[in-house]
Amino acid sequence: MSRAASWGAIALALLVAAGCSRGSTSSRPPIHLNPNMDSQPKLTAQSESTFFSSGAAMQPPVEGTVARGARRHSDLVRQGLLPNGDEAPSNPLAVDAALKERGRERYEIYCSPCHGPSGNGKGIVATRGAIPAANLLEDRFRSVPDGRIYSAVLNGVGLMPSFAARIPVEDRWAIVAHVRELQSR
Amino acid sequence: MADRNRRHWTSPEDLAASREHYDEFPAGAAEAPDELSRRSMLGLMGASAALAGLAGCRRPVETIVPFVRAPEDRIPGVPQHYATTMPFGSGAYGLVVESHDGRPTKIEGNELHPASLGAASAWMQAAILGLYDPDRSAAVRRRSATGFEPSSWDELAAFVAERRAVHLEDGGASLAVLGESHSSPTRARLEAELRAVFPAARIVSWEPAGDENVLAGLRLTTGQALRPVYDLERARVVLALDSDLLLTETDAVTQARKFAAGRAPDGEPNRLWVVESSLSVTGAAADERLRARRQDVPGFALAVARELAARGLPLVLDGFPSTVLPTALEAQARLVAADLSAAGSAGLVVAGRAQPPVVHALTALVNRALGAPVALHPAADLASGSTAELAELAAAMAGGEIETLAILGGNPVYDAPADLDFGAALAQVPHALHLGERVDETSRACAWHAPRAHFLEAWGDARAIDGTAGVVQPLIAPLLGGRSDLALLAMLAGADATAYDLVRDTWRRSILGEDAFEQRWQRVLHDGVAAESASTPVDAPVDSVALAAAWGELPPGGQDALEVTFHPSPATFDGRFANNGWLQELPDAITKITWDNVAHLSPATAAELGIASGDVMRLSLGDRSVEAPAWIAPGQADRSIALTLGYGRTAAGRVGNGVGYDAYRLRDASSAWFASGATLVATGARHRLAQTQEHWRMEGRHLAREATLSEYRENPHFATEPEEHFEPVELWPQHSYDDGYQWGMAIDLNACIGCNACVVACQSENNIPVVGADQVERGREMHWLRVDRYFAGELDEPNVVFQPVACQHCENAPCEQVCPVAATVHDEEGLNVMVYNRCIGTRYCSNNCPYKVRRFNFYNFTKDTPELVQLAMNPDVTVRSRGVMEKCTYCLQRINAAKITTKREGRRVGDGDLRTACQQTCPTQAITFGDVNDEESRVSAVKRDERNYLLLAELFNKPRTSYLAKIRNPRTEEPA
Repeated sequence: MSRAASWGAIALALLVAAGCSRGSTSSRPPIHLNPNMDSQPKLTAQSESTFFSSGAAMQPPVEGTVARGARRHSDLVRQGLLPNGDEAPSNPLAVDAALKERGRERYEIYCSPCHGPSGNGKGIVATRGAIPAANLLEDRFRSVPDGRIYSAVLNGVGLMPSFAARIPVEDRWAIVAHVRELQSR
Repeated sequence: MADRNRRHWTSPEDLAASREHYDEFPAGAAEAPDELSRRSMLGLMGASAALAGLAGCRRPVETIVPFVRAPEDRIPGVPQHYATTMPFGSGAYGLVVESHDGRPTKIEGNELHPASLGAASAWMQAAILGLYDPDRSAAVRRRSATGFEPSSWDELAAFVAERRAVHLEDGGASLAVLGESHSSPTRARLEAELRAVFPAARIVSWEPAGDENVLAGLRLTTGQALRPVYDLERARVVLALDSDLLLTETDAVTQARKFAAGRAPDGEPNRLWVVESSLSVTGAAADERLRARRQDVPGFALAVARELAARGLPLVLDGFPSTVLPTALEAQARLVAADLSAAGSAGLVVAGRAQPPVVHALTALVNRALGAPVALHPAADLASGSTAELAELAAAMAGGEIETLAILGGNPVYDAPADLDFGAALAQVPHALHLGERVDETSRACAWHAPRAHFLEAWGDARAIDGTAGVVQPLIAPLLGGRSDLALLAMLAGADATAYDLVRDTWRRSILGEDAFEQRWQRVLHDGVAAESASTPVDAPVDSVALAAAWGELPPGGQDALEVTFHPSPATFDGRFANNGWLQELPDAITKITWDNVAHLSPATAAELGIASGDVMRLSLGDRSVEAPAWIAPGQADRSIALTLGYGRTAAGRVGNGVGYDAYRLRDASSAWFASGATLVATGARHRLAQTQEHWRMEGRHLAREATLSEYRENPHFATEPEEHFEPVELWPQHSYDDGYQWGMAIDLNACIGCNACVVACQSENNIPVVGADQVERGREMHWLRVDRYFAGELDEPNVVFQPVACQHCENAPCEQVCPVAATVHDEEGLNVMVYNRCIGTRYCSNNCPYKVRRFNFYNFTKDTPELVQLAMNPDVTVRSRGVMEKCTYCLQRINAAKITTKREGRRVGDGDLRTACQQTCPTQAITFGDVNDEESRVSAVKRDERNYLLLAELFNKPRTSYLAKIRNPRTEEPA
């Protein structure tokens, strides 16, 4: 066999090896001939780790620690609670146009898919996914203190999960301000 | 006229030009390691095996594992930073630690902490690898008839409760607690509580390389526990008496910063005199360095003091014995004194921890007479370590007086003075407990071992040497179930509280106060330090009569017998970092030796004894001896042999076991730092040393440029003169780099002290692998940033220049022109970038690089990275595989992070937004990085300096990194 033919045979064999899983189903992951640093011995965001008992590479912060640049808030602002444990009657931040505008933006990102852009509880998820969402324009929501709405964002209510990890403290109060704005329309 | 042809040399062989032939590649560089069997060779050939169709050719399954309950203020993949404190000996260093998804990955200095000022040393940087050391202990162990069996914290608590019950009966007479030295307010409080419960108990601290002598000296003559804090920035003339104040002494980071700040050649630069036996980093930075045996330094100090008194300084030196000094030193003492007295209150004398207490007392006396910039801070909450107390404890243990011994950290079986025979004494203690990070030499001799938490895992506190209190804030829950010294001490004291509560309690009671405590506590956690918690310096008159009396008890110097001196290692310190691969592989600043310690001999002494570098010698002192490889060290004092502590561990772990020899075996309690009367014979054996000095060398070209201050003032352009005759030839039209960001770096050789902090910072930031001694010997070390060390002048009294060299990011990069696959290319911001996936490993680029800064992965060094070590990897940087070339990227990941942040804020990247890892950690701020296209940037300003020059400018590579020439300030020329 000529040299060219033998190289050709090797190339064909490689192609077959590389393509052998194409077109057929397999429970095994695809063949990956050149590792090419696609998978590296380091832990990236949300990756798995068998070292930690949780199975996750991401670890919670140690309780009581304070990161650099972390905003420090009073309990009233952070928890939405008065010292006696009652919900804050009104927004502890200065409600101005900028806060309301920020609130509108954040509301439309995080809240409107369920609660709808106008707050009527007819967001895309609620209408198509048959997951009921509260109509924020009802009287029972108009009469609650601001701290109750804040608490819903912080802790979640019923089917609604907590948004504490996604929405920072100031933005939560901005959303509260925007909800009030929607209710006043 | 600057001595621009001043010859720089790298080793005695280089100076004597005795190397017959210099080979660009070390012997064996192209061969596989010997000990590799065929089987492991196959293991190394991972990709080839996959091609052959064996297992492992399928794409790995990766699972996304989000948080079940996500914490607030955390975005996956976006790093956070936490302030914390690293307790170290009797001091503490403030840190800011980068955390990726809750895992600490990179350590930097805390700019608010007085002992780090934002910088970090190699030790501090490398502590992150210590956290993820797979050889750390993961279980409580107890000794049984059959061995050292796994136990549990509950069983240990039961054991402690049982021992407590016994000692409540005897008042603690047979109870002892032995710890490392510390400056923790909470620990001091717990020790006081323990004393209250067990009044007769012995609570001892011990540190093999501690500041015992400094405190003892000041206590001797002032009656108070005081620590000197030097302000080197204000000093114009500094005399360092056997003090490595820029690297291995306590508070070295701050001292280095202030020393460099007082050295700007355009002002009135300071002058550093160093008298020492073995060339240290501080000696290398000296303008005037005097070689003296360690035993002659006290006499030298006294001679300087006498000379100062003769020059009218208010010093009363009656009753001091006469000194016997070599005549050369006598003459030099006069010169030093003349310089110091001329400087007046800008003169400063600093003594090293290896000098006896009386020298520290005399130093305080002289500084007080000069009005020197030094403050004496009361040492609050400090346990500085006491050899006498350790000796007393060891005697009690050997005599069977101690029933229960709790050893909290430290490793006394390994590092206690050899004459105490601590191991044998420990065998007499039936209930010994060792809290240690690993099952080390001491644990193995105890009935119980408990895993100790790393400082990044547990709450604590520590004071800096000026008394500033900092909180040790954990970044992650204990990885291996360890607990801190505080937790164990509380267990012994019967305090039922967590370390967190204990620390908060102390701070509430004695540091912050009840008033608005919670708010102030949050502030402290954010900042890392309590503002204005430094102690108030005291004005303490020195009792010179007591000093004179004590001086008489000093053993006379000047003896002709062979002297042995002990030095903590700049890599492993006292042995605590022996299992740290980064530090083991870090080339020593002066010798450039990795993975080993040696015995330093002066060229004259070596010639007299007929010993060559690498010869193994048997060194005997009394009836003890060690075998150590000899190293002929330029600048070493004659008839003085320097031994490095911290090696020869037998139970450090897989990295540190059996590396080097154990110098502690020669160290006595009475002669902790130097001993006279050593004998030495060559054994005939040779020892191979993995030394990087001759690697990556640049063929003796004129690379490190320097001048004396007067030469510089006469001719400020001296640094660029060698290029003046040179006309660059453009072979093709030059690309213009005048839009957008153009990154560049400037390195000030005048500030660089060769401390190696940048090398470890780079290694930590950029996931650089450790390759081992065998590979280093073949020139395969992977450090992207190396610090070249050049000697100049005489073999015995060399001057030293350090030059950090990383990729120069040439605009006309020679590497790019030879890469056949365009794996190394230029980007529009002037960066020479590597595309790892394209690289096929021809190494043409490395051959064509005139700076020799490219590193090749000869093996898949990262393939078998243990999972615990993977946690230390920076997720933002590729972990390279075999067959790939790599090099400095100017911390591209940091550049991109800064660009993302500033773009969101709608502004350009400024000086404060971006610092490379090496720049960030540099204790002397020798490295400046930024946008050279911005006239206002700091790097542009630095590059306008007259000392600015390029490496090998004649090649017309147009490097983006430039250097600022070094300016020396020797005595012979009086500043104008």
